[in-house]
Amino acid sequence: MTAPSTTAAPARRVRFERRARAPRWLQVVVPVVSVVAALLFGAVFLVATGHDPVEVYRTILRVSYTTGFGITDTLRSATPLILTGLAAAVAFRFKLYNIGGEGQLYIGAVAASGIALAVGEVVPVPVAVAAVVLGGAIGGMAWVAVPALARAYLGTSEIITSLMLNFVALYAMRYLIFGSDTFWRDPGATTFPQGRRLPENATFYEFGTTRVHLGLVIAVIAAVAVYLVVTRTRWGYRWRVFGDSPPAARYAGISRTKVIVSVLLISGALAGLAGAGEVAGRAFRLDPQGLAINLGYTGIIVAALARYNPLAVVPVAVLVGGLLNAGPALQSLPERVPDAISTILTAAILLFALGGELFVRYRLRLHGDGEAEAAPPEPGEPVPEASAADSDDEEGARWM
Amino acid sequence: MDVTIVVLTLAAAVGAGTPLALAALGALLSERAGVLNLGIEGLMLVGAVNAFIVAEVSGQPLLGLVAGAAAGGALAIIHAFLSITMRANQIVAGLALVLLGTGIAMFLGQPIEGQPLSARLPDTSLPLLSEIPILGRILFDQDVVVYGTWVVIAAATFYLMRTRTGLAVRAVGEAPATADVMGIRVAAVRYAHVVASGVFAGAGGAYIILARVPAWAQDGTTAGLGWIAIALVVFASWRPWRALAGAYLFGVALRANFALQAAGFTAVPAEFLSMLPYLVTVAVLMVITATDTRERLGAPTALGVPYVRDER
Repeated sequence: MTAPSTTAAPARRVRFERRARAPRWLQVVVPVVSVVAALLFGAVFLVATGHDPVEVYRTILRVSYTTGFGITDTLRSATPLILTGLAAAVAFRFKLYNIGGEGQLYIGAVAASGIALAVGEVVPVPVAVAAVVLGGAIGGMAWVAVPALARAYLGTSEIITSLMLNFVALYAMRYLIFGSDTFWRDPGATTFPQGRRLPENATFYEFGTTRVHLGLVIAVIAAVAVYLVVTRTRWGYRWRVFGDSPPAARYAGISRTKVIVSVLLISGALAGLAGAGEVAGRAFRLDPQGLAINLGYTGIIVAALARYNPLAVVPVAVLVGGLLNAGPALQSLPERVPDAISTILTAAILLFALGGELFVRYRLRLHGDGEAEAAPPEPGEPVPEASAADSDDEEGARWM
Repeated sequence: MDVTIVVLTLAAAVGAGTPLALAALGALLSERAGVLNLGIEGLMLVGAVNAFIVAEVSGQPLLGLVAGAAAGGALAIIHAFLSITMRANQIVAGLALVLLGTGIAMFLGQPIEGQPLSARLPDTSLPLLSEIPILGRILFDQDVVVYGTWVVIAAATFYLMRTRTGLAVRAVGEAPATADVMGIRVAAVRYAHVVASGVFAGAGGAYIILARVPAWAQDGTTAGLGWIAIALVVFASWRPWRALAGAYLFGVALRANFALQAAGFTAVPAEFLSMLPYLVTVAVLMVITATDTRERLGAPTALGVPYVRDER
């Protein structure tokens, strides 16, 4: 697919020139072309491994995107991805690389299910559901607090600390189920240990006969809320200044530590909410098997595909959720296509989108193109607007 | 616990640390050239699945190792292309690579799920050295990859610190613009080292399947070692020898858990013992960043920053 041969070497024939502003149409075209390119890549891969791509894609469409039942199932799969996608989008957008969404989701699920088990039977439904939602958010926040504070006060890379804590969370959750007699474990399950079933009162409302649950509403509200906070509030403004240029934020008197801590806490809360939704809306118990499908990591993919735009996260999560949702159906095809093709397609879409990003940020100029020579400053001369618009600036890539 | 258990545990720890050392060396080489490669876990998985298939078909475990390394290197080209040529965000590109690698490994691995590997890598105890009491059993009664890893680590240290090319690599990681002016081909150096990171990560993954856990398991083969390898590089402050030492320490932590359980130690649940290495990593990182500056630690200054000639 991405052969480096053409672009790596040619010394000065092709020049990239930074755009001051990306045209809107390009911001739509790039993701669309990425999806098409990824499907072509997937087709090549399928043919190479002896499968029929047309049959596979037809099945994916049928199972996830075109029938009523399929669409509602897709929406259910997309629900946690909207939230983990938002968690990643809100942090990555400001160059705070929270890779710990997975762990925050687990701890959110632990907290939410713990609260549901504790109070589910004694308080009225709205209170119980609100407590579960709040519990999930607080659980996720608590889990991100360590990387957030370490980054803000010690300068420790949040990438590695948040990542390491994913494993700690996974083992913590396993302990709660497989440990001898914890509060979360179902004492009646004799054959294989599993979580206690949550009381009915504390689970999410399901719409009609579908399995779409309240979590979807919460996720969409969260997307709009994050969008408004980022674009319309003073908080969001400060974060943006910090994200674009930490030195400028310093001169403007914006507290670095406050931005880091608040952005990461919100990110963790969103991932924790996804965990609450998974236990209260789908699994109805704390179930390490049911959660361990990389929702946290996939959220980062969703966020990147959505170009860290909170509103775009919703449709992208539906696209990715549908792809992943269709996986199991592929195994029932006569030729038994491994469901991992869904993962490969998702990864390919993202890889093409990342590559395409170059064309959003830069204009491609052939050397000798008259217009190119006249307008921009000569290479070597400082380009004043370049550094402010740079989306991969040094401080952001700081990761140690 | 008697001495034999300790010796056996330490010997197993060296084996358990070896794939980590290889993968960490890969991550380190890429980072020294200024490219952060978070895709190690995916590269290891692809290396492992290809090693299994090739070793099983050919009956030659060493051929499997080569195939695993080659597959890792090939997949890493994607990361190089995105982060160097297309100037993509290296963190996201690395994560996408993990996803792609996991997907490919699971796709190719599905037919062989749970299947044991018949062509395992045999132990090759070194003559004389393995006769040394205790130490011989721990260090010199291993397989060729363990010894090979020492050679590779030594070679990498020499390469980075004592050769002209190594100096050029470090220059590219520290100050690409200066390196460019000096006539070093920044993009070429970065490509080579990102591909090398894939080769070593692939070899690490291959080693797991060829010697440590010789059966393909969709969710258990690498078990997050690729992520630990990335943390190890910081831990090792970008020096190959320290990465090897750190990998063995991790190996001890991973194996001590088994040994304690086998010895009937139940005061602390197994899950908590499993958490320890990760918690220790977090704690160590916090302590070293609090007490040391990034520069003194030796982090390449241009790490994670795409190099664009004519800009800035």
